[in-house]
Amino acid sequence: MSTQSTNNNTNNPTSDVVTSSVPFTLKRWNLVGIWSWDVAHDVCAICRTALSESCLRCQAASNLQECIIVWGTCNHSFHNCCMSQWVKQRAQCPLCQTDWVINRIGQ
Amino acid sequence: MSSLKPKEIDFNEQWSIVLGTVRSVISMGRFGQTDRAIWQERFFDIYYLCVATPDSHAERLYEETKKFLEDHCKSMKKDIAESDQNMLSIYVKYWTEYKTGSDWLNTLYAYLNTHYVKKRQANDMDTNYQPFECNNDTIDPPLVEIGEMALDCWTKIIIEPLKDRLVKLLLEQIHLDRICECVNQTTIKGVIMSFVDVCQHRKLNILELYEKSFESPLLQATGEYYREEGNRCLAKLDCIQYMRKILLLIDDEEFRSRKFLNPTSYSKVYNECLQRLVCDHFDTFKSECNELIIKEDLDALRNMYKLLKPTHIGINYMVEKLQDNIARIGHEKVQSLKGENLSTLFVETLLELHTKYMNVIKETYANDPEFVSSLDKACATIVNMKYGNRLSAKAPELLAHYCDSLLRKSSKAATDSEIEEKLLSSITIFKYLDDKDYFQRFYQKMLARRLINQQSISIDAEEFMVTKLKQICGYEFTGKLARMFQDIKVSDDLNIKFLEYVRSELSSSSSSQNQTMTNLLGLDFNIYVLQQNSWPVAQTITNTFILPHLLEKPLHMFEAFYGKKYSGRKLCWMYNLSNAEIRMTHLDRSYFVTMGTYQMAVLLQFNDHQQLTLTEIEEAIKINIKELEKQVLSLIDAKFLIGNTSELTMNSVISINFDYKSKRTKFKIPLISQKEANHDSESSQKAIEEDRKFYLQAVIVRIMKARKVLKHNSLIEEVITQSKQRFLPSIHIIKKCIEILIDKQYLERRTNDEYSYIA
Ligand SMILES: [Zn+2]
Ligand SMILES: [Zn+2]
Ligand SMILES: [Zn+2]
Repeated sequence: MSTQSTNNNTNNPTSDVVTSSVPFTLKRWNLVGIWSWDVAHDVCAICRTALSESCLRCQAASNLQECIIVWGTCNHSFHNCCMSQWVKQRAQCPLCQTDWVINRIGQ
Repeated sequence: MSSLKPKEIDFNEQWSIVLGTVRSVISMGRFGQTDRAIWQERFFDIYYLCVATPDSHAERLYEETKKFLEDHCKSMKKDIAESDQNMLSIYVKYWTEYKTGSDWLNTLYAYLNTHYVKKRQANDMDTNYQPFECNNDTIDPPLVEIGEMALDCWTKIIIEPLKDRLVKLLLEQIHLDRICECVNQTTIKGVIMSFVDVCQHRKLNILELYEKSFESPLLQATGEYYREEGNRCLAKLDCIQYMRKILLLIDDEEFRSRKFLNPTSYSKVYNECLQRLVCDHFDTFKSECNELIIKEDLDALRNMYKLLKPTHIGINYMVEKLQDNIARIGHEKVQSLKGENLSTLFVETLLELHTKYMNVIKETYANDPEFVSSLDKACATIVNMKYGNRLSAKAPELLAHYCDSLLRKSSKAATDSEIEEKLLSSITIFKYLDDKDYFQRFYQKMLARRLINQQSISIDAEEFMVTKLKQICGYEFTGKLARMFQDIKVSDDLNIKFLEYVRSELSSSSSSQNQTMTNLLGLDFNIYVLQQNSWPVAQTITNTFILPHLLEKPLHMFEAFYGKKYSGRKLCWMYNLSNAEIRMTHLDRSYFVTMGTYQMAVLLQFNDHQQLTLTEIEEAIKINIKELEKQVLSLIDAKFLIGNTSELTMNSVISINFDYKSKRTKFKIPLISQKEANHDSESSQKAIEEDRKFYLQAVIVRIMKARKVLKHNSLIEEVITQSKQRFLPSIHIIKKCIEILIDKQYLERRTNDEYSYIA
């Protein structure tokens, strides 16, 4: 994408509205965006359910809001529910076997 | 009388005095009233006889009284038997008198009853004597109170030998009543009720005499009478007339029962009538039933219902026929629908049908639940009819469209309550859907469109509908819809925070506090950020689109703002869903037009050039050429641009239309992406299949978590029960999901047909 001429158009917005030197003036823009978890694989390796959905146990419990995602320092991601169960047995990433350290939690 | 002290009494002397009074009491009607002083005296005479010294005369008194009553009955019997014409009336006359007399006599003999009869009965009980089962002649008949004894005498001496003659006369009288001859109602009822009343003291089988001697021959005669009557009527009447006629006959017979019979017989007579008049001719009813339903002869059907409902045959046949007919009519109506507004036609046709038959059932079938459920079944078959080869019934989509047309801002102004009323009636149809998840999918899609384009008529109406759906299908069913509303609210909040952010970024002075987005960024910039899996939107994978320059800065600012606010999220912009408002200033007056982002991007190119080729536009905004052609064509259609629409090539020259004129100054043109292609329903079909599998897995996990171990068949059954509010899963797909879960190690197979849950 080119950004060279951005300044020309937005530097002086108010005058643009008043003078209307061009045929078409953009008044309003309603932009729609979709957010999803920033993950390399969309599937949780522990429960093998899509990370964009709640884990299966949360689905079964109709607990749709609580199921969030964690990333390790290795940048692998899992459902927090699934990972917290997992680390009780082994404190390593199920995918790369490095020691599991939480890097960030999705919010 | 001065003293109650027992004394010596000469029985014969005393008895002859007592007997005189006894005689006048028992036949009070013929010899006039006994005066009160004498009554008092006899009462004490009986007392003294019972307590006489040295020995009580109670036993002799009892025996002599019995002998007297027997003799009295014998003489009455002779009178009755010899009266020929008047047998029934003489019988009733004697009976009425004797019955009253026996009651009085029982009172007169109160002392004997209490101190002799009851004591003896108590002694007999003590020695295990069983009075009710004793038929042994060698044992004396058990002692009974004087009143009862009197009635027993009547039974034994008068009824037993005369009952055949009496009953024959009674049946003759009843027959005469049936053919509308004049009869003496009081006499007939009196004789009949004597069979009941004479046994009133019995502790068991009070009705035995009545039922065996009278009721059973009556029922037989009734049956024969109505068998003939039924055949006779049917020979000269058609079915409709016949039903009308026999309803009258049955009514008459019910009235007759009340005139003559003991209440326990009413239903038996009624059933006998139904058996002969209705059940015996069921074939006639059956062959007429369908015709009546087709002709909608509600009067005749109401009669048929009244007649069949109380029989053992019942109304199953009628119910079945009605259901078939409603289903057939519904199919025909639905299949003949055509035109623009198919969804409204479809829903309103069904509702009309539903309302009509609800009324028919109310008026004709007394709101019988069996008919109500037949209407439900018929509606369900109509609604879930699969057209042609397509797997999905059309109904879910049409119904969702209908709701959409109600909930979308439109020219048709309706009040909130009108909208809610119509939504409520759409719920009536919704309940019949087998594939409620299909509906949900379509509904969700249309809701998304309403929300993103700000076309909802009101958030109250939206929430009203979602609440109704939740009531029927539960929280999970509407979870995504609820989260869509939530996302819109969150986005509103986000926009306020973003404005604050822009203010703080772009100006250091405090005067920026009141700056609007337009002041700051040159346009009113509004963003919806939606959670991917709550919204039915497919992400476009390759997005080469080059934003108009003036939008880059606002967008980058937002991305920076969003990245600071949330972590772990990535954003994907859905330009095809985004819309823009353009002001056109090169014309006779200013026009404000709402359009799609791509359309906006094309138009903005013409700010620098009065004309461009398609190639030039393509190079400037870099969207797929097919897509671009559609966008350009839509703008030529809208007359904002000029170009040769019939032969659009890469070198076609497109220019601004400076002569554009319109009556309205503020309007929108259709977003191209809203027109959905056909393959869309196929892809949503696949998506639904995936959803179903996922949903079923969750259901299975929920069940197994609760039950730990379960047999295969029980599991399947339970899964079907839990999911049928949403759709009817096939066994095949459930099995598949079980396999998936075994694979994912949620379940394990214990034996061949048993699973256990792995925690
Ligand atoms: Zn998981
Ligand atoms: Zn979870
Ligand atoms: Zn890892």
